Amino acid sequence: MFWRTLREISPRAGRPGRASLALLLTAWYTLASFLVVTAATGLLYLGLANNLRKISEQSLLDELDVCRALVRERGGDSQALHEEVEIDSAVRRYQKFYIRVLDASGAALSTTPGMDRDLSLSRLAQAAEGQPGIFWIDSPGGAPYRAIVARLTPDSTRRDTWTLQMAVDLTQEQVVLGRQRVWVWAVLAAALIFCPGVGFAIARRGTRPLREVAETARHISSSTLNERIRAEGYPVEVAVLGEAFNAMLERLEESFARLSRFSADIAHELRTPVNNIRGEAEVALARTRTPEEYGEVLASCLEESVRLSELIESLLFLARSESPGDHLKRTREDLGRLLTDLRDYYEATATEMGVTLTASVGDSVWGDVDRALLQRALGNLVSNALAHCSAGDGIRLNARRQGGQICIEVRDTGSGISAEALPRVFDRFYRADPARSRNSGGAGLGLAIVRQIVYLHGGDVQISSERGSGTTVSVVLPQSA
Amino acid sequence: MKLLIIEDEAKTASFLKRGFSEAGFVVSVALDGADGMRQIQTGGFDLIVLDIMLPGMDGWHVLTWLRGAGLQTPVLILTARDEVPDRVKGLELGADDYLVKPFAFSELLARVRTILRRPPVREASTLRVADLELDMEGHRATRAGQRLDLTGREFTLLSLLVRRAGEVLTRTLIAQAVWDMNFHGDTNVVDVNVRRLRSKVDDPFPRKLLRTVRGVGYVLENPERN
Repeated sequence: MFWRTLREISPRAGRPGRASLALLLTAWYTLASFLVVTAATGLLYLGLANNLRKISEQSLLDELDVCRALVRERGGDSQALHEEVEIDSAVRRYQKFYIRVLDASGAALSTTPGMDRDLSLSRLAQAAEGQPGIFWIDSPGGAPYRAIVARLTPDSTRRDTWTLQMAVDLTQEQVVLGRQRVWVWAVLAAALIFCPGVGFAIARRGTRPLREVAETARHISSSTLNERIRAEGYPVEVAVLGEAFNAMLERLEESFARLSRFSADIAHELRTPVNNIRGEAEVALARTRTPEEYGEVLASCLEESVRLSELIESLLFLARSESPGDHLKRTREDLGRLLTDLRDYYEATATEMGVTLTASVGDSVWGDVDRALLQRALGNLVSNALAHCSAGDGIRLNARRQGGQICIEVRDTGSGISAEALPRVFDRFYRADPARSRNSGGAGLGLAIVRQIVYLHGGDVQISSERGSGTTVSVVLPQSA
Repeated sequence: MKLLIIEDEAKTASFLKRGFSEAGFVVSVALDGADGMRQIQTGGFDLIVLDIMLPGMDGWHVLTWLRGAGLQTPVLILTARDEVPDRVKGLELGADDYLVKPFAFSELLARVRTILRRPPVREASTLRVADLELDMEGHRATRAGQRLDLTGREFTLLSLLVRRAGEVLTRTLIAQAVWDMNFHGDTNVVDVNVRRLRSKVDDPFPRKLLRTVRGVGYVLENPERN
């Protein structure tokens, strides 16, 4: 069950080299929490053991002090001491004391009953050699004892010293610690079972938004691009992912819409010339005609084919310029020269229309540009300006440096473009004036190509226009471009 | 001049053959690469027009084989693909020129003639078509002994037409050669300039040299020769 759910969380969990995030999280949670539990219980156990030791040591020392006082009080009355020892051992149940008093010759003056049975007295004496403080000793019966050996002087008048051997039974302490150990193991065992479960639950909960994002993503196809990930209520990390994902979908949807609109436009634009060719040829072949008539039909078909070729060329240019990669062949160009060349090229046409075409360049402006492409872009702008001009109008070409940028302007005093058409003039196949026939207006790709070329140069193009007073198109290129 | 056209599209091959034959070439057609190679081995061609997209053995293969065999016959490549790497590949493999479909036949003809003319003969200082005379050094044009008053550009345009007299020049080619414009916008710039030139060169004289070829471009020729 656990593994199946894991696989559900991450469909790739089974692939080599791809660890499941939930699995990793679970493993780390388990490890971390288990370590914490182990450390906590271990420390508690050690603390308890330490405290118990201290308590037994304190009681041992206390008892020693009692005996000393007794011996001093009674002035070496070994009988009194003996009674005291007997009473003590008879009364105590929980913590059993063993006391043995030896005189200077080593003969036992008093011994707690059963001490020789429970404890190995020779070992006690042996262990005491060179051990000034409290020490640990095992008994033959297996129970551990804590013991101390001290010397005391029973009477200030007597020169001999007695030896006091004292031991305390640690069985109860061991029982307490043993019970504690059972608890420790129980807690650890519980943690071992509990931690992975909790870790897994946390990991699953934490990765749930991810699964939901993946689920949404899996369902999105080109026809359901309007679906979005609902990122509300998700933790901030996933919400950010969701938002980025949504933004990507937004862009995808937009470019898909543009693409399908574009395809429809292409089909439409191709349909007209093909229809003309087909119709003209069909009608011409319907009956016999004079050579002049044939010539006329053929010439017309040729014109339509040329228009088709140009349309295809423009479309290919746009398509190619959108594919990634640097398409520019940059050279260092005098932009003023570029403008005067353009003026020369269009001069005859402008003169014939009664339009004055001028190019003005302040200081010499140089830029690293693709000459052929920029020429084409600016040529399209001049063509466009000419199309909106009539006798008496003027077109001015101007290039100048502006901050860190190069600004090229094509300004005309022609008929202008309406405010509602203005934002769309750079769209493909868009014609500001629907009444203008294709013969005079081209396919409506001219400005789209301009924009694409400027974008390729890393620049921007802006258009402003007022009905009746003219249009200004500004191409802004980065200086380094 | 013998020409081999290797082109699998029958219609294209057919109009190319007719066009080149009418322009005075002897034309053979091969409809696939293998046939093309066979024909190359037998006949001494002056130039090969090679389509790249051929069934089976493609044009690259034919070209590689041709240059590998040490044959220096000029090759003009025709293709519907015009990505830059393709052009570079064609030229690297030893093609002499490259033309993208759809193309104007007149342009293909002009390019074939250009390749066959190489290396260019030293240009005469005086060019003549009928009674039109161009002094290339003095930048003077006279017709029937009468000095024509031309602007610099008009002279450049006229000399282009005269130098390639009899060839139909497309508007794109003219824009490129005269104004160094690498595009042909939707304006009538070339037409306007040719019209102005015509008003000076042809209009005052009974015999018209400059002819418009509808849908293609312009040609300057002596009408009495044809």
